[in-house]
Amino acid sequence: MRKKSSMLVLVSAMSVSLLAGCGGNNDGAQPSATASSSGGTSAASKTIRFATWDTGDALKIEQDIAKKFEQDHPGTKVQVEAYADGFDQKLAAGFGATNPPDVMYMWDFPTYHQSLEPLDSYASQDASLNMDDFYSGLFNYGKIDDKLYGIPVGFTTRVVYYNKKLFDAAQVPYPKDGWTWSDFQDISKKLTDKAQKQYGFGVRASNDTYDLQGFVWSNGSSFISDDGKTIDGYMNSKETAESIQMFGDLVKNGSAVLVGGKGQQSGEDIFKAGKLAMWESGIWPLESFKAAGIDVGTVEMPAFPGKPVKGVIAESALSIAKDSKQKELAWEFIKYYASDEAIKMRTADLPVRVSVVNELKKDQDPLYKPFYTMLERSDNTPAFLLNAKWNEVNRQLSAAVEAVVHGSVAQDALNEAVKDSQRFLK
Amino acid sequence: MKFRPLKQLAARLLSGSYRSIRTKLLVCFLIVTIIPLLSLGALSYYQSAKTVNSQFGKYGENAVAQLEQQTSTYLNRMNQTTETIYSYLLDPARVGLGGDIPTTYKEILDKNNLEDFLKALKTERTSGIYIITRSGYYYGENNLDVAKLNRIPEWRSIPDAYTGEYWLGFYSQNHGLQEADEENPGQPVLGLAVPINNPYGALRGSTILIEENADELLRMFRLFEYDTQAHLVVSDSTGRSIYETASEFSSHESDIVWNRKLKANVWTIEARLPAKAFYRSSRMIRSNTIIAAAASCLLAFGLAYLFSSRFTARIRRLKDSMQKVSIGKLHTRTKVEAKDELGSLDISFNNMVGRIQSLIREVERNERLKKEAELKAFHYQINPHLLFNTLNSIQWKAKLQGADDIRQMLYHLTMVLEGNLDITQELVPLGRELQIIEHFLKIQEVRYGPVFEYEVTCEEALKHYLIPRMTLQPLFENTFFHGFEDGQGIIKLTIEETGNLLRLTLFDNGAGIPQEKLKRLLLPGAKRKGRGGLGLQNANQKFKLHFGQQYGLKVGSSPGEGTTIVILWPKKEMTPHGENNETD
Repeated sequence: MRKKSSMLVLVSAMSVSLLAGCGGNNDGAQPSATASSSGGTSAASKTIRFATWDTGDALKIEQDIAKKFEQDHPGTKVQVEAYADGFDQKLAAGFGATNPPDVMYMWDFPTYHQSLEPLDSYASQDASLNMDDFYSGLFNYGKIDDKLYGIPVGFTTRVVYYNKKLFDAAQVPYPKDGWTWSDFQDISKKLTDKAQKQYGFGVRASNDTYDLQGFVWSNGSSFISDDGKTIDGYMNSKETAESIQMFGDLVKNGSAVLVGGKGQQSGEDIFKAGKLAMWESGIWPLESFKAAGIDVGTVEMPAFPGKPVKGVIAESALSIAKDSKQKELAWEFIKYYASDEAIKMRTADLPVRVSVVNELKKDQDPLYKPFYTMLERSDNTPAFLLNAKWNEVNRQLSAAVEAVVHGSVAQDALNEAVKDSQRFLK
Repeated sequence: MKFRPLKQLAARLLSGSYRSIRTKLLVCFLIVTIIPLLSLGALSYYQSAKTVNSQFGKYGENAVAQLEQQTSTYLNRMNQTTETIYSYLLDPARVGLGGDIPTTYKEILDKNNLEDFLKALKTERTSGIYIITRSGYYYGENNLDVAKLNRIPEWRSIPDAYTGEYWLGFYSQNHGLQEADEENPGQPVLGLAVPINNPYGALRGSTILIEENADELLRMFRLFEYDTQAHLVVSDSTGRSIYETASEFSSHESDIVWNRKLKANVWTIEARLPAKAFYRSSRMIRSNTIIAAAASCLLAFGLAYLFSSRFTARIRRLKDSMQKVSIGKLHTRTKVEAKDELGSLDISFNNMVGRIQSLIREVERNERLKKEAELKAFHYQINPHLLFNTLNSIQWKAKLQGADDIRQMLYHLTMVLEGNLDITQELVPLGRELQIIEHFLKIQEVRYGPVFEYEVTCEEALKHYLIPRMTLQPLFENTFFHGFEDGQGIIKLTIEETGNLLRLTLFDNGAGIPQEKLKRLLLPGAKRKGRGGLGLQNANQKFKLHFGQQYGLKVGSSPGEGTTIVILWPKKEMTPHGENNETD
């Protein structure tokens, strides 16, 4: 009897290890084989790959969400692939090799939409997504030729952060909504104390031109015509030049400091060190400012005299690769990522759902309120959505902006940039 | 205290008390075990030490070669990167690149192009690619603090007009914007600086700085040091040390040295291992071998001692027993311990002593009986004289008185008695026995009168064959006492030869013997009533004793018809020296 039972144990142990061996194989690099061979019986080995550009705390949160999803969907594995700085390169490589991640963060739809799965049918057939609950307009960013390629999962508008302590010390009243750029320049000048290495504002040495669109729009101009065909007279218009020149002037007259350039600390770091009175950014650094012990306030962007303030939305969405073998599961993951539960976990983004904002009373919070005010002001279409070649044009524009903050004359630099960029639009 | 048993042992061995077989056995055992043990041990030590040394040597050689290869990979890649940058800058299109902070649109475009290019050159191992201009501006990722570059030990010592590659060696990258601190010490890198001093091309006088993450390389170095315990020194062509094992080291002539030159920059990788460390493994093998051999010797000695002492102890015990027996202690027995040869020797000894004991007992008894018999015989020898003298006197008296029948009777009686009392011979010729029977019958005739018939048939030639003394007379006595009534009857005695045997048939026509008595008649030890049958029994025994069990008497009888006794025995003649040898 004894012998028999030990044999049984042995046999079962062997079969377990055999099963484990099979499982291990299925987890391997060929999800296609799994999908085709196992069918419904061994759902245990389903894996989807999820690519993100985030690092640090934001990545940590995303990994937690993935784990949560795995718990709610037994037999599923979400492989979080953090591409960080190499995101575009690796993603492009993945698409090229027809081995892309199943789900990925996405913002540059004009460049990648041909490799992405249109999501209209998923979204319209799946009532549980509840599209109406999203902030209106967010979906526009993920649409190319009226086809939806990404579900918004996070966004931010841009506001002005200010250090209340420095304002109090200089006995300058806090800025309020409806303030103007001349107010801004005055305050910046007053709060600059070069002896203390303290500045009123920080100008980025290299700007992302996308973020500058809000200023340009606020001054009644834009980088490109609404039909997306013309830049001459837009990118180098007087109003555009004026709004860019303003930042160059702030540096030139010493009431702002260049940040993030060669041998320069980043604006966030200087602000956290309490040496910067005002800083312009999205929602991302808010938590770190609080953590650094800065008594921080937020206010909407200043206005150009007599013109409405305009905002720009930075949105991140999730998309499914066209070559994905597990689109259904990928869709489930995206839906979970855009659910109330996951949205509440992601504190580095503004919630995309109105219901969540109402529930958390985010729009009542004075620190958050300006973001929602700016959201209401963000109804212009960013340039990259208007012309597929915008990335090429942007090279010249970026160089021009960088030249301006380093002391060049905005109008001249922009004229040159327009001249150099014309060939991309033909 | 520890050595006391050993001392005792030595004393015992030397004292000679046991210098016999045990010592010899012990010595034999030791020689038999120790010689192969020592030679095997020495052989295995020699072989394995040789193998280990040569393999370790090869291993070290290979390991250094591998280090060289790995380092070369790094150096070559860095070389290639600088060459690529150099050739990029030689392109006349790059002439716009200046040494100062670019401020115009064109300058910034050029800067962006260059930095994109530098970014593309980055691999996963690259920690930094920078081009540092004379003014202190630099191209590359925005994380460098030029002011801190002097923290690189070798950076300052780059000669002003240096041409070609200047290897900065290993250092930790702590010249970033973010101060390196306890938590985040700069990662170790391998640096290469190449001053741009080509008369053509852009950025003349600037310096290309390439830094590669050296974590993996240094880990390999450390792994090598750990594995081989060698002292690793990387030095450049001028003898400047690029890398050296942290631990204290002083080199000796006897050190084992593995040496490699890097092709890329004429660096030398040298691993030194003190001879002591190199031969450590073989020394370890040697000491282990010695310990094992010593332990085996001790074990062999112990076993040999145990075995031989057990072995000789048994022999000694047997010897002691023999000694005891030799002084007459015949009850001595030795203990039988095992069923081996010694055991059977013990058993044989015991059996032998037992047999000797019983034999001696027998001899004792025989001696006693012999003495008794001698005494008896002496007794008998005395009495017949008196008896015969008396009988002769009576005979004379009877003759003087004219009682001739009495004289006749006495004469026959004397003859019978003489036959009976002459015990000097156990076997007598048949003729003599027949004569005694004649005398006996004469007595009976005197007693009963001539009422019986006696018929004897015996060839003269048979009469000299031997027959046990006094065998026939008891049979005749039986006939007269039990068979005949008042001596009346017929007795027929026939002696004939059948081959080698003699057959004697004695017939009488007397009363015969009852059946049940007949059965018991010849059984030895059977209970007897009265005296009857003792003569038959005796006669039978005598034949059997003298000639063998197969011979003897057969009695046939039925009541009223007489009795027939048949005796068979082998022919035997008187020898010249006596009648036979069997009485010894």
